[in-house]
Amino acid sequence: MTKTKTIKSLEALRKKLLKDRKKIQSTLIMCGGTGCQASHCQEVVDAVKNELFEQGLAKSVCVRTTGCHGFCEQGPLMVIEPGNIFYCHISPDDAHEIVTKTIREGEVVEHLLYTDPVSGKQVQTELEIPFYRAQERHLLAQNRLVDPCSIEDYIAIGGYSALVKTLFEIAPESVVREIKDSGLRGRGGGGFPTGRKWAACREAPGDEKYVICNADEGDPGAYMDRCVLEGNPHLVIEGMMIGAWAIGARQGYVYVRNEYPLAVKNTRVAIQQAREFGLLGDNILGSSFSFDIDIARGGGAFVCGESTALMSSLEGKVGEPRPKDLHTVVDGLWHKPTTLNNVETWANVPSIILNGSSWFASKGSKGSKGTKILALTGHIKNTGLVEVAMGTTINTVVFDIGGGGSNGNSIKAVQTGGPSGGCLPADKFDLPVDFDELAKAGSMVGSGGMVVMGEETCMVDVAKYFLTFLQDESCGKCVPCRMGIDRMLEIVTDITEGNGTPQQISLLEELGSTVSETALCGLGKTAANPVLSTLRYFREEYEKHISEKKCPAGVCQALITYTIDPEKCTCCGICKRACPHKAIIGKKKQVHAINLDLCQKCGICRSECEFDAIQVK
Amino acid sequence: MTPQVTINIDGANIKAARGSSVLDAALEHGTCIPHLCRVPYIESIGACRLCIVEHVVNGWSKVTTSCTLLVQEGMVILSNTEKIRKLRRNVAELLVAEAPNSRAIQDIAVRCGVKEVRYPFRNSDCVLCGRCVQLCPGTFGVKAIGFVGRGKDRRVESPFDIRSELCNECGRCIDFCPMTVVPCDGPMKTGEEYLCRNCESKMDSAEEQGICISCDLGEGFQCERHYSNF
Repeated sequence: MTKTKTIKSLEALRKKLLKDRKKIQSTLIMCGGTGCQASHCQEVVDAVKNELFEQGLAKSVCVRTTGCHGFCEQGPLMVIEPGNIFYCHISPDDAHEIVTKTIREGEVVEHLLYTDPVSGKQVQTELEIPFYRAQERHLLAQNRLVDPCSIEDYIAIGGYSALVKTLFEIAPESVVREIKDSGLRGRGGGGFPTGRKWAACREAPGDEKYVICNADEGDPGAYMDRCVLEGNPHLVIEGMMIGAWAIGARQGYVYVRNEYPLAVKNTRVAIQQAREFGLLGDNILGSSFSFDIDIARGGGAFVCGESTALMSSLEGKVGEPRPKDLHTVVDGLWHKPTTLNNVETWANVPSIILNGSSWFASKGSKGSKGTKILALTGHIKNTGLVEVAMGTTINTVVFDIGGGGSNGNSIKAVQTGGPSGGCLPADKFDLPVDFDELAKAGSMVGSGGMVVMGEETCMVDVAKYFLTFLQDESCGKCVPCRMGIDRMLEIVTDITEGNGTPQQISLLEELGSTVSETALCGLGKTAANPVLSTLRYFREEYEKHISEKKCPAGVCQALITYTIDPEKCTCCGICKRACPHKAIIGKKKQVHAINLDLCQKCGICRSECEFDAIQVK
Repeated sequence: MTPQVTINIDGANIKAARGSSVLDAALEHGTCIPHLCRVPYIESIGACRLCIVEHVVNGWSKVTTSCTLLVQEGMVILSNTEKIRKLRRNVAELLVAEAPNSRAIQDIAVRCGVKEVRYPFRNSDCVLCGRCVQLCPGTFGVKAIGFVGRGKDRRVESPFDIRSELCNECGRCIDFCPMTVVPCDGPMKTGEEYLCRNCESKMDSAEEQGICISCDLGEGFQCERHYSNF
């Protein structure tokens, strides 16, 4: 192992690596993110490697297992360079065909190609896929270039050159100014200007300072941070080193939740490698800068994603938030000045230093610069991770990238920003993904979760879901959050069960605004957003639940009845056999009916019926 | 003598010792800000959120708890605005709905202007104000009780649910518990929950918010205002 003690040895290593790489004829880039691992990509990798070995190609063809590419729905997936050929849903049995046909003969294996669900056409290269084409992939694109467990890969693509530039060419104050000028804002949810945070921490009195990377991502359905940390841990480490140099810290922590085992493993390997290469430790690259990073694993409490609760947890105390009258940049970890940023924020830093603040500021909207990774999920054709320039409209994300509603259903709303965010109706889809614009509309960019909801979603039920989540995850320290969420859930449950009163709507609004004004931490302050935003845009749904005792979307069990349409029923008997409660009556060639006394409204009959004869009212 | 700073609470300039909280300064000066979880001489945890005030900085006001906010020269605090009164009333309403049988909580609720409770009553024995946990001296600084669980499962408990050897039976946790003040007509029966009308906390004082009544309650609850009224 070469220890890179000076800039010269780092550059020499980079040159050597690039020279070695020229010998490789083609590269198979296999996605090895958690999503693809769940669909057994490792077996595919093993099969392909075996096949290459048997055909004597092991030396000239490189198989690179990388972090997440973003199109998780299509996994296991592979890109073959040169040619940019994109294969999806690969099984280990396809290895022989891929190697013989594509690698040896340069032909395409047609049954592995991606079919665009909108046009129905097969697409050969990754660049042509509409899901990728409409994106501006800056961070995610780097995932494909490196094996997360190989520091050599990262150095070969120019890694740690931003660190070299920082240490030897830019003074710490200028680094802070550069970040300020770039307009980078916190990607974890709050959207606080990163440069201002760094400047305040730099100016805070004290010799001992800390940097922390917040990888305690907990929003349901969101996994942007996992993807970056799993796929390119050195990028985050480099960002943290630049930040530490700027504010004057000697120690950093990556707080990552234990439910992300691959992220923990890859980060641990990356830190170990950086130490071996002399990029972490004392007098890095011969400079006066000494810095090290440790990993802290979170136990899975959602509230520990909040900065002060995270610091308490890191100190070994119960993960509960503290009052923030003195900001954490002054009084943070162990009461020392601390800069805490999200994974994605740190990952943006090296490229800002390398390309300059104006490059970064040229992307995005007026108040929000750069790109943002969004986790697109829900009732939509293409799901996965999406990176767009800030200011891109929700329409573009949902329809151009996401391909519109799944099964041709129309889209009712989109929930942005996880449990802290809000629901926006379809007529607000021309809003840009922008910190200020979404906040004005009662939602937020948040960490970047984007859950698309079709017509079959009941918005009261959505509010109930998020309140249940928050009730479980609230630490319970302060009264408004603990009791307020509990009471909001009580009221919303009353409404979904048909016991609601019209006064409860105004009570919900009043209680919601009280909780958001008075709660101790960010979790409580935003806990009412799902209720307040659904009340703002879907008030008539609440009112129908209360006045007509009807759930328009047919979701709330207490308010719906299942019936069989006698005209559509073909008397096939499938529903009768499927019903676990024996609630369906009818004989052969006799139209079936549902005994409402026995019906438990489980919906099994409806999903089994092939003739759409079972209706919900 | 401790260095003094001048702060402005509701238009009055008052002097306070550097390092003290806004709540302490206000109480010393005679401005009554309702509070529950705060225990004198112990660093506040800011859990009950009753002592919220508006902190005005450069024309922007921020709602924060006065018990955790330390005094600074030239600070401007508004403790009794329309907005604060409404928020405080709503928080107190949540508390009293949780424990309608506690005279201490009733007293606070009435002082915060709660006239009706819009939530179904629950008969909880503990409102998790945390006074006992903060006060517990334990043995060698190790507390005999603490918070266990998260969210709605949160409760005060000794380690592993067994009486801890760290407890030196000083009884402070009982003395300072707002729930141990004897309820008016004895414990409420299930199904007959109501906001007590008999005790002194339901007196006319509801009209004059923020003004102390010298109640027996104050003594039992170790209310500082109780003593300062004499």
